[in-house]
Amino acid sequence: MSTPLRPSRLCRLRFYPQAWSAALLILLALTGGLALADSGGVHQESAVTPDFGMMVRYVFWALIAVTGVAVAALLWSWLLGRRVAQRTRQLQRELSERRQVELALRESETRFRDVTEAASDWIWEMDENLRFTYLSERFYALTGIPPQHVLGRARWELATADSPAEREKWRKHQELLEDHRPFRDFVYQTGIGDRRGAGRYLKVSGKPTYDEQGQFRGYRGTGTDITEQVKAETALQESELRLRQIIDLVPHMIFAKDRYGHFLLANQATAQAFGLTVAQLVHRSHRIVHGVDEEAERMMADDLEVIESGASKFIAEETFTDHAGRVQTMQTIKIPFIAPGLSETAVLGVSINITEQKRAKEEVARMRLYLKNIIDSMPSVLIGVDPWGYITVLNQPAEQVSGLSWEAAQGRFFGDVFPQLEGQFEQVRQAIRLGQPIKTPRMTLEVQSELHYADVMVYPLMADGASGAVIRMDDVTGRVRIESMMVQTEKMLSVGGLAAGMAHEINNPLGAILQGSQNIQRRIAYDMPQNRAVAAAIGIDLERLNRYLEQRGIRHFLEGIREAGVRAAKIVADMLSFSRRSESHFGPVDLEEMLETVLRLAASDYDLKKKYDFKRIQINRDYDPTLRLAYCDKTEIEQVILNLLKNAAQAMTDEGTPAPAITLRTRCEPDSLLIEVIDNGPGMDEKTLKRIFEPFFTTKDVGAGTGLGLSVSYFIVTEQHHGRLSVISKPGQGARFSIRLPLRREALS
Amino acid sequence: MTAATMDWVLIVDDEAMIRENLKAYLEDEGLQVAAFEAVTPALDWLQESGICRVCIMDMRLPDMDGNTAIRILHQRYPQMEFLIHTGSSSYSLPDDLRAMGLDDDCVYHKPLTDMEPLATEVRVRAGLGEDRL
Repeated sequence: MSTPLRPSRLCRLRFYPQAWSAALLILLALTGGLALADSGGVHQESAVTPDFGMMVRYVFWALIAVTGVAVAALLWSWLLGRRVAQRTRQLQRELSERRQVELALRESETRFRDVTEAASDWIWEMDENLRFTYLSERFYALTGIPPQHVLGRARWELATADSPAEREKWRKHQELLEDHRPFRDFVYQTGIGDRRGAGRYLKVSGKPTYDEQGQFRGYRGTGTDITEQVKAETALQESELRLRQIIDLVPHMIFAKDRYGHFLLANQATAQAFGLTVAQLVHRSHRIVHGVDEEAERMMADDLEVIESGASKFIAEETFTDHAGRVQTMQTIKIPFIAPGLSETAVLGVSINITEQKRAKEEVARMRLYLKNIIDSMPSVLIGVDPWGYITVLNQPAEQVSGLSWEAAQGRFFGDVFPQLEGQFEQVRQAIRLGQPIKTPRMTLEVQSELHYADVMVYPLMADGASGAVIRMDDVTGRVRIESMMVQTEKMLSVGGLAAGMAHEINNPLGAILQGSQNIQRRIAYDMPQNRAVAAAIGIDLERLNRYLEQRGIRHFLEGIREAGVRAAKIVADMLSFSRRSESHFGPVDLEEMLETVLRLAASDYDLKKKYDFKRIQINRDYDPTLRLAYCDKTEIEQVILNLLKNAAQAMTDEGTPAPAITLRTRCEPDSLLIEVIDNGPGMDEKTLKRIFEPFFTTKDVGAGTGLGLSVSYFIVTEQHHGRLSVISKPGQGARFSIRLPLRREALS
Repeated sequence: MTAATMDWVLIVDDEAMIRENLKAYLEDEGLQVAAFEAVTPALDWLQESGICRVCIMDMRLPDMDGNTAIRILHQRYPQMEFLIHTGSSSYSLPDDLRAMGLDDDCVYHKPLTDMEPLATEVRVRAGLGEDRL
């Protein structure tokens, strides 16, 4: 306010000096004129001297009058000046004030205009009939609706209310306006205007206006176009809804939790797992909604770990018991994230139910194991190979044979792992090409310098895509041996059958020979009373006759006949042993007692040709004290053991073994009893061993043995007693014959 | 029965040399022996003389088998003792013969390399040879 006052003060300061200078000028003019009149009179004295004094007087008086007038005028003027100055100052003040008001007004107007023009709002007015009377320029600028569409119309005429909710909204609004109440933030959608203006969202606020008399004059208010905002909000809502739908459609559990275990977000699947709705689940604590505490604690510990470390965590497998108590296996990934509107890190989790996959996987694994068990339990060596001969599968017997595990052998050429089968590669290729199995029976192999037999089958594999072959190898050495034994046995049986058929026919003549020779020997003896009586009756000297018989070797020949008959009878008897017999002669036998009997028999066995002397042989007894009774045909087994003892004794005598010894040993084995006859004689080579149980095979001199002893023994043990007779021997290292008889419960009880 | 009647031994065997050799041996042992090649003449002889304590019976005979002959003889002469002398390797005693008191010791298989054990048995059964055992 001080600035407009300054010019008026300056004016006043200038005014006063002017007035004073005017007064002084008049005074100076008067005094100057007097002085001039004096000096001029002096110079012009010669011409005007008589009137001059008069004139000066006149002038003087005139001057005094003039001066008086002047002074009066000056005074008046001063007074007048003062009043003018006073009025001027007043006017100046008034002027300044008005100017200030105008300025303020203009400023206010400018501000108002600026505000209305700059604001996103517009101003509207309506009259007492609720018709628009005024719309500020912003209206058009903002909405694009020409004001002429609006002015003179009520608000509800601008909108289309096509839903009941809309109609209700407008009814309330109209009611409110008719009650002259103020309102705020009424939102509606326009239904007028051009394309740009149609369907816009407007938000209006207003209050009623009254005149000085308090008469209702209408409404005045502001409006704003919130179309963009509404659109953005709608888009956001739609986007959220879409996302919501997506996460709800995902069958996996999607959730977010804070560090305290509260669910910040959960999809349908998560809520369902807890038996809740999404709304029920969100904001609740995991600890409360989860039925199994141990699981909840574990999961929350994981959450916390992720939150604290800030690193994602992948949980390949975890159990989760749902609300129905079903235990599910889940695969979960937990990721740290900052939820909108939250300052703290939360955890976002996605959990996939892998129960079925796991079950399927376990089923596959179980099946694989099951199949592996099956192929492992097969006694055959099974080798799976691809079409190029590289190993894909080995079963356990194959692992044992190769000494390599499946894993170690996988991918190696089968011929390298099983050198004995290298030659089968051609069969593998052929089997695959022809699509049918190829068999190589009785392939000979050398296993630890022993001859083995194997049946090898190559089966092609034609399963979709997995072509290749399976090589199956069965060690049939045992079977081949049994088969050859069976051939032997058959041979023996046929011998037995033959013997049985002809025994009767041979035994009678043999009987005649043997009995006849015995009678002859008796009836030529001179000490027999009947002989003497008959000799005396016919006059023969028996003593001389005997000398004659002696000298002519007749006794010797007779003995020869007898011996030949005995041998023939023995052969027949041995051959007869090869026929099957009933077990009627079987019974419990005291083993030790039986062995002692046999030893006695062997010791007393008289060999005419003194081929051996049993008394020279040391007998070692190594009896198992736990073994008492054997269930067998006593005479048969006695025959077998006697046979073995005689064989041993004979072999040792023949070779001149320095300290001949035979050990008789008994042992109880899990399912059989063992009787061993072990000698320290010359032993046998492999060739002999192979044939030793063959009928009519003998190493003894012709006539010394029938060649049936061991084969009869073999037959008795294996066929009649269902046992085993085996021999271990090496040249120079003695021989060990082992008889194994099946253990019978009745024999032990 | 007199001691004399006790001495008689009956041999039935169709093989002449067997029959004769046995007869000779047993006679040398002091026994009275009647030997026949078949059952029928043996039965006829028994019917006539009616005296015999021990019988040595072959199995395979022309008119009937030895088992049947033993049954008949046992029925007629319950006191008679039987020894079986057979050439069959597969011979086994029928149960009814076992019931009559026969056992495996009564069975002798041909060929006999020594007739002494048989003779001893005959003597024992005939009630003669206890002192010689």
